[in-house]
Amino acid sequence: MADISIAKPAAETARGPNLLSMLWRDKLAFVSAVVLLLIVLFAIFGPTFLGDLATKQNLRGRNFPPFSFERGWEFFLGGDSLGRPMLARMIVAAHSTILIAAGTVLSAMIVGAGLGLVAGYMGKTTSQVIMRLADVIMSFPSLLIAVVVLYVLGPSIPNMILVLAITRIPIYLRTTRAEVLEVRERMFVQAATVMGASHARIILRHILPVVAPTLVTIATLDFAFVMLAESSLSFLGIGVQPPDITWGLMVAQGRPYLSTAWWLAFWPGLMIVITALSLNLLSNWMRVALDPAQRWRLEARKTKNV
Amino acid sequence: MGAPRSGARDASSCDGRNTLLLKPILVGALLASTTIVPAMAQADTDITVVLSEELDLVEPCMATRSNIGRVILQNISETLTELDVRGDKGLMPRLAESWEDKGDGTWQFKLRQGVKFSDGTDFDAADVKHSFDRVFSDQITCESKRYFADTALTFNVVDDHTIDIKAEPAQPVLPLLMSLVTIVPSETPMEFVRDPIGTGPYKLTDWTAGQQIVLDRRDDYWGVQPEVTKATYVFRSEPAVRAAMVEAGEADIAPQITAEVATNPATDFSYLNSETVYLRIDNQDAPANDIRVRKAMNAAIDREAFIGTVLPEGTELAVAMVPPTTLGWNPDLSPPAYDPEQAKTWLEEAKADGVDTSLPIEIIARTENFPNVTEVAEALTQMLTDVGFNATLRMVEVAEHEQYYSKPYPESEGTRLVLAQHDNSRGDPVFSMFFKYDSDGTQSGVNDPKVDDLIARASAATGDDRAALWSELFKYVHDDIVADVLLFHMVGLSRVGERLDFTPTIATNQQLQLSEIGFK
Amino acid sequence: MTKMIGQRAIASLLSLLGLMVLVFFLSRLTGDPAVLFLPIDATEEMKQQFRALHGLDLPLIEQFARYVWDLLHFDFGESLRKARPAIDVVLEAYAWTLPLALITMGLVITTAIVLGSLAAFNVGGFFDRLVSIVSLVGASAPDFWIAIVAIVVFSIGLGWVPTSGVGTPLHWVLPIAVLFIRPFGLVVQVVRGSMLSALSAPFVKTARAKGVKNLPLIFVHTLRNGMLPVITVIGDQAAALLNGAVIVETIFGFPGVGKLMIDSILQRDFNVVLAAIMVTAVAIFIMNILIDIAYGLLDPRIRH
Repeated sequence: MADISIAKPAAETARGPNLLSMLWRDKLAFVSAVVLLLIVLFAIFGPTFLGDLATKQNLRGRNFPPFSFERGWEFFLGGDSLGRPMLARMIVAAHSTILIAAGTVLSAMIVGAGLGLVAGYMGKTTSQVIMRLADVIMSFPSLLIAVVVLYVLGPSIPNMILVLAITRIPIYLRTTRAEVLEVRERMFVQAATVMGASHARIILRHILPVVAPTLVTIATLDFAFVMLAESSLSFLGIGVQPPDITWGLMVAQGRPYLSTAWWLAFWPGLMIVITALSLNLLSNWMRVALDPAQRWRLEARKTKNV
Repeated sequence: MGAPRSGARDASSCDGRNTLLLKPILVGALLASTTIVPAMAQADTDITVVLSEELDLVEPCMATRSNIGRVILQNISETLTELDVRGDKGLMPRLAESWEDKGDGTWQFKLRQGVKFSDGTDFDAADVKHSFDRVFSDQITCESKRYFADTALTFNVVDDHTIDIKAEPAQPVLPLLMSLVTIVPSETPMEFVRDPIGTGPYKLTDWTAGQQIVLDRRDDYWGVQPEVTKATYVFRSEPAVRAAMVEAGEADIAPQITAEVATNPATDFSYLNSETVYLRIDNQDAPANDIRVRKAMNAAIDREAFIGTVLPEGTELAVAMVPPTTLGWNPDLSPPAYDPEQAKTWLEEAKADGVDTSLPIEIIARTENFPNVTEVAEALTQMLTDVGFNATLRMVEVAEHEQYYSKPYPESEGTRLVLAQHDNSRGDPVFSMFFKYDSDGTQSGVNDPKVDDLIARASAATGDDRAALWSELFKYVHDDIVADVLLFHMVGLSRVGERLDFTPTIATNQQLQLSEIGFK
Repeated sequence: MTKMIGQRAIASLLSLLGLMVLVFFLSRLTGDPAVLFLPIDATEEMKQQFRALHGLDLPLIEQFARYVWDLLHFDFGESLRKARPAIDVVLEAYAWTLPLALITMGLVITTAIVLGSLAAFNVGGFFDRLVSIVSLVGASAPDFWIAIVAIVVFSIGLGWVPTSGVGTPLHWVLPIAVLFIRPFGLVVQVVRGSMLSALSAPFVKTARAKGVKNLPLIFVHTLRNGMLPVITVIGDQAAALLNGAVIVETIFGFPGVGKLMIDSILQRDFNVVLAAIMVTAVAIFIMNILIDIAYGLLDPRIRH
């Protein structure tokens, strides 16, 4: 077990180029990385370059079918119910989608993991208080939070992040605490305690690195979950609202057209699937690649492949 | 499972409550394994209707709420008079055989004889009086009370089948108002009932909350026996699912489907549904307090572009708050022309006179208000922006919409335009004009003495005078003061199974009379 | 163990109380039920009457005191919209949600653990990739999309199952199938991940190095060690199902607590919202206690 903390610094020195070539070798992970990079670029530059194009309406030219260059590249994926180009809208929507999903996952993870570390590491009373708090949040329906926040604070992207993040905190909290409870008892942590390391040091240097992989797995899975939860809220009429656009909202708005204009809901749905898939494939790969105890799997394949 | 225990909130019922807690679970589990699909084991004259939302109540005095009305109105409970919404027969007798104006605000109603309630008791004048007592009771909140807001009614039972109703102030449309109040037996308690008793051709035989409501045909109905023997109502909120159920043979009628799923001309009907969509303008609020700004808003909107695109074919352009079938509807009015250049000119003129046309205009629309409301609102916003308004869109849910729609209006930096839908299938503008245009109307954006005067005079007038006054008001509001942006008379779509002989009409929005349904 | 459960029960009761207070006051921030119950052209007097009948005109703190007092007598108040006891409405809905959640979760747990473990044993292989991709695609596809497409394909196209509603067991097939997909995708990933970590633990490596051929033994031991995060995620997903499957219930017309909850929240039927949340909370608290017991059984060191 102790090998984890010892092996780490050694691995770090050789990580840079080695990691990239390892990534290149795993084609699936490589493609995922490229896709994610593209999506991030869309999210950053989309609204600036395509914002006007994406909002240009044409009622009489609505639901333009996809796969035709007749009306220019932006209509290659079809037009939506107000005659706006789907492709441009999807690229622009990446901005709010990624902002909400990343904002939610990050803030829920930071708060949840932080509380979980404290709950797992500190005494029983603190732990009890935090865990019961988590119980309260867990049984507080996100729909009510959404309605309260929307009614009191109004619909906006930061408020959406708030709504979604609150509901996602317990999962990080409970996972972290469960793992900490286990890690805390391990030999190297006990040893560090005996040697007089400070609480902060033990938590950050010894416990967090062990807990992190699980958190990352959950966070990557959660990314898709959050995009879909946001879509569900839009479906119920209490989520992101136009003129803001997200993929989730586009899917929800395309729902009535499933039988007449499938592309309205299909493309943004596909984007959610692709993002989720890439993120998870990459994170699965990273889990192995960054874990010295497991890296042999990739190394082994390398020798086999060459 | 739902024993009629409404109102039982006394603390002493602890013991009873424990069994009550367990019962639904057991029954629910049982139902899960035993109940047969209603649609799969029915006689040829049994039908299934799939409604868009579950009924909270099956209470006769709430029958003016459209989802309750579709089940109850003229099926379980009847009214004294009935408005012929589909034809031009006007006001027809139902439980009242005739009525006459005795003068001085008093109307005498002769009641039908030999009518029995579904519990076997006879229908008489005392039932009529009790039904109104219930509506006005402070023990329950009945919807139909609102139609008598400023009118005091006194009832005088002349004999078992004659009743005098005196309205103060005199109410020229009192017989019409009688079509809005359902008659219940005198024994009905002053609380919401779960087992409504009525004189109609059907009686409620099963109500399983969340799942179904079943009406069975009565043998002792006073009128003509309808063909449908049994109607089962189920609830699905997704239009595609409702349409699919008729297609799969699981249901026979699906009211309120959307244009996107209504793709089969053999089963899908469209009809004007008495709803009118408009943008309410607060005429006191800058910059909309300048008539040129309001005119510019009207000219900015390409109304025709919506029809056949985001709104179904058959949608009509509105020139009044009420549909064309309403008394006094003015055929001389025409919708404002779509003229963005003219709109820009008007805006320029207003600006030159010191009106700050750059103030923000926020359009408030309600999610799920009508099919494609988001698209409509987005397009409206875009059209206003195109002529130079600083317009933004805000979609809100129903409770918040209500805050903006009804007085007192919240403060805003510029002004707000509220996208709203108003329903008047009652045949007379009185149910709309006061609320939407009078200075004291709860959703009115107008404060104009001439409007108030016309409304007051029209409401008190009868016959041709009444129609002429309403016509004058429609013209004044539409052409002279340009009070709002009237948009569309909406179309409803329903899917009807091919074995039925039934054509949905404008009435289908408020009621669904099973007696009108036949079989091919 | 009994002591621990006792303590947890008391602590949970406190949480329940906190939840009740929170929901009571937060929900009342969201507007006036009277304007939603009554039609738009209702008079102010009618609204006032509605408020008075339901005690909504009293000062908030008095409303709260009354509510607590009634609650002490097991009276959850009357539904503002349905004119019947709120708790009856909620329990009826729960009688549908509970079996739906249990059956779905049962299926999820069994299939996800088996497939996730197999994928971990075969890491990087074809089967692993297949399981990952299929489960991820399923888990990240919008459920209302899947639900409507499923109805179009299986009910209308093939005619295998009814479109919606409840009644026969056949009616349950589509809702369960649609509900199954997302938790399955999540749990299978977490099982795979934990199994990978556990498989690289020294004792497993040693055993494998020594050539222990007893795969089932390894499987069981690894599984046991890898289960902690899995249980947490299962708990999270089960909690979501116990809260009701809003979308699936809405589309399939399934009379569960999710649909009831969203309707009551949107209609501001406070008593039903409160009753629904408290019943759900009790279910979730019981589940969390079970989870903590499971933690203790799996890893004796956690036991206090």
